[in-house]
Amino acid sequence: MHNVWTVVRFTLRTKMMTKSFIVTTIILALIISLGVNLPYIISLFSNNESASIGLVPGKFTSIEKSLEQHFMKQEKTDFKIVPYPNASEVELNKEVEAGKLDGYLTLEEEKVGAFPKIVYHGKEELGMGEEAALTNAFTLIKTEWLVKDSLTAEQMAELSQPVSVDSKLIAKAGETKEKNPVSIIVVMVLIILFFMSNMMTSNMIAAEVTQEKSSRIMEILITSVSPLAQMFGKIIGMFLLGLFQIAVFLAVIIVNLLLPHNTLPLKSLNFDFSMIDWSVVGGGLILYVLGYFLYATLSAAVGSIVSRTEDLSQAIMPITMLSMAAFYIAIFSVSTPNSMLVKVSSYIPFFTPTTMLLRIGAGNPAWWEFWIGGLIMLVSIVFFGWLSAKIYRTGVLMYGKRPSLKEIRKAMRAYKI
Amino acid sequence: MKPLQLKEVVKQYGDKTAVNSLSLEVDEGEIYGLLGANGAGKTTTMRMVLGLIYPDGGSIRYNGKPFHEGLSRILGYLPEERGMYPKIKVSEQVVYLAQLRGMSRKEADSNLKYWLERFNVPENYNKKIEELSKGNQQKVGFIASIVHKPKLLILDEAFSGLDPVNVELLKETVKELRDQGTSILFSTHRMEHVEELCRNLTILQKGNAVLQGSLRELKSHYPREHIILRTGGPVEGLQNITGVSDVKRTDDGYRLRITDESVAQTILHVAMTQTSVQQFELKEPTLNEIFIKAVGGESNA
Repeated sequence: MHNVWTVVRFTLRTKMMTKSFIVTTIILALIISLGVNLPYIISLFSNNESASIGLVPGKFTSIEKSLEQHFMKQEKTDFKIVPYPNASEVELNKEVEAGKLDGYLTLEEEKVGAFPKIVYHGKEELGMGEEAALTNAFTLIKTEWLVKDSLTAEQMAELSQPVSVDSKLIAKAGETKEKNPVSIIVVMVLIILFFMSNMMTSNMIAAEVTQEKSSRIMEILITSVSPLAQMFGKIIGMFLLGLFQIAVFLAVIIVNLLLPHNTLPLKSLNFDFSMIDWSVVGGGLILYVLGYFLYATLSAAVGSIVSRTEDLSQAIMPITMLSMAAFYIAIFSVSTPNSMLVKVSSYIPFFTPTTMLLRIGAGNPAWWEFWIGGLIMLVSIVFFGWLSAKIYRTGVLMYGKRPSLKEIRKAMRAYKI
Repeated sequence: MKPLQLKEVVKQYGDKTAVNSLSLEVDEGEIYGLLGANGAGKTTTMRMVLGLIYPDGGSIRYNGKPFHEGLSRILGYLPEERGMYPKIKVSEQVVYLAQLRGMSRKEADSNLKYWLERFNVPENYNKKIEELSKGNQQKVGFIASIVHKPKLLILDEAFSGLDPVNVELLKETVKELRDQGTSILFSTHRMEHVEELCRNLTILQKGNAVLQGSLRELKSHYPREHIILRTGGPVEGLQNITGVSDVKRTDDGYRLRITDESVAQTILHVAMTQTSVQQFELKEPTLNEIFIKAVGGESNA
């Protein structure tokens, strides 16, 4: 036990001070603060005046008029319709060229008596939001144009109201009921944090083991301290390092959220600290710890069978694939947290850290399901820890080309491990 | 109760026998030489002693006890491929290795300073390994293997790649450790080091101990075949004496090769009747010659 802590201290001391660790932490912290400030930054830009769109007058004067009125009535509009009476398209093209207009609309008759075809002319195509706003406006105008005066004003108002579908959940006993949208954001943030720091620390562990092997200090280490103590000392050291990094990231997020200029944009997104469900955060933390140890023991085992750093990225590929799968299953299922795929994979230890987190954050599992997932992980950590320690013990003495599974088994038998 | 005792140790890799029924004992304050060509089983033997791999048969005892956890405190090991963390400071890693072997940080640090001073490289304390010359890296590796004051020291090719001055420095240190009671298992290709340092030795060939015993004993088993003769004037008729197989003239005498030791007296007699004899020596075989005879032409050492 004493030796484990010696290894932990050494790992912390030597890794914390490396340039690569400091630089990546700073860069990631910068990216994260950029992300948190994004709503504010976007609000800075979107406060700009709305796009000016010219309108070439044609035969459809009534439609043109209602279009102008439609955008005039709205308080905050995406468009400002500028009528250009008696102007030709050539003149308008010049205006667009000069930057006075973003573009202009023409109404083209296709069939007599039918609603005209709307054509937008501009330097750039319309954005999704802009196109939707225009389509909405014209749909309304078209309705009005078609029904003319056959409906009352109330009926008109009713017609323009969009239909809304509300869903209400029927909750069974023991299931958590309403989910607040903030939990989903929290889950996303935790999954991304887990994925990033897990990838980094696992790779660091594997690289560290391979380096010790290729620099041949391994033989000295392994005669001084048991491989198990050595492996877990390194894993715990890296774990503390990873926790430290996550603490830095979380602090960056919280400090940024608390900055005064961020209050307004966040309020418009309906975000409030009191809305965070701390049981989800706590569950996420437990899953993070378990997931970390599972991936770390495997990485140490992989690092121990490779002799040269150049071969490492190839050898660690299966583990990278697993953690990517865990990440993507969760991210792509954010809107369907109760699907069969998520349910099944939340009991597969490699995927539990992300998918179970998604379920407790956005889905409706019973808490016993969470604990069973945790228990399965714990059992697999013990199993893979034991297996990895055996591989580690064998692998560190094998030099040369990357050994196959058969060769490892043979070596295990030869070394009596 | 010997500090280290191997009894009929066998190690097999698949169907290849790496070490075949090897027995040896290392006393307190003794340097034991392990000789052999490449692939003879030296490193496998050392790895078994270190507990890195387990023997398939036989037993290894340390002060009468089998391998146990506590041994890491009294074992010191310098592997043939000296390993160090290239990017970590000398002080940091040597102290770490000593700590792993159960020494306190403070004591390890003061020991490291003492040894750096002894080897005339105190300025390396705060340097990274990759900044040091190869010779200095080796010195640090050697220090790392002895800094925790081991009782049983295992040196695999300790002096390879060092310049003569540093070889002397390390040899003196090894002798000093021996005189303080450290038992040392020492492997090398260099016969003159064994002749100078070791009391007992084993010559391994393909896992078998082809020769074993004290240096003195081994030499007495091999006939003395060389005679060095320095004389005041020329000596005639040496090659006609029966039992003399070869005569070479040197600038002040002769080197003779004989097939029978008893012929030596005849040669001395012949020489003395003709001129004055300044030196007459019946030379012991060198370990090199014994090694080559024992291992034969198959050696590539």
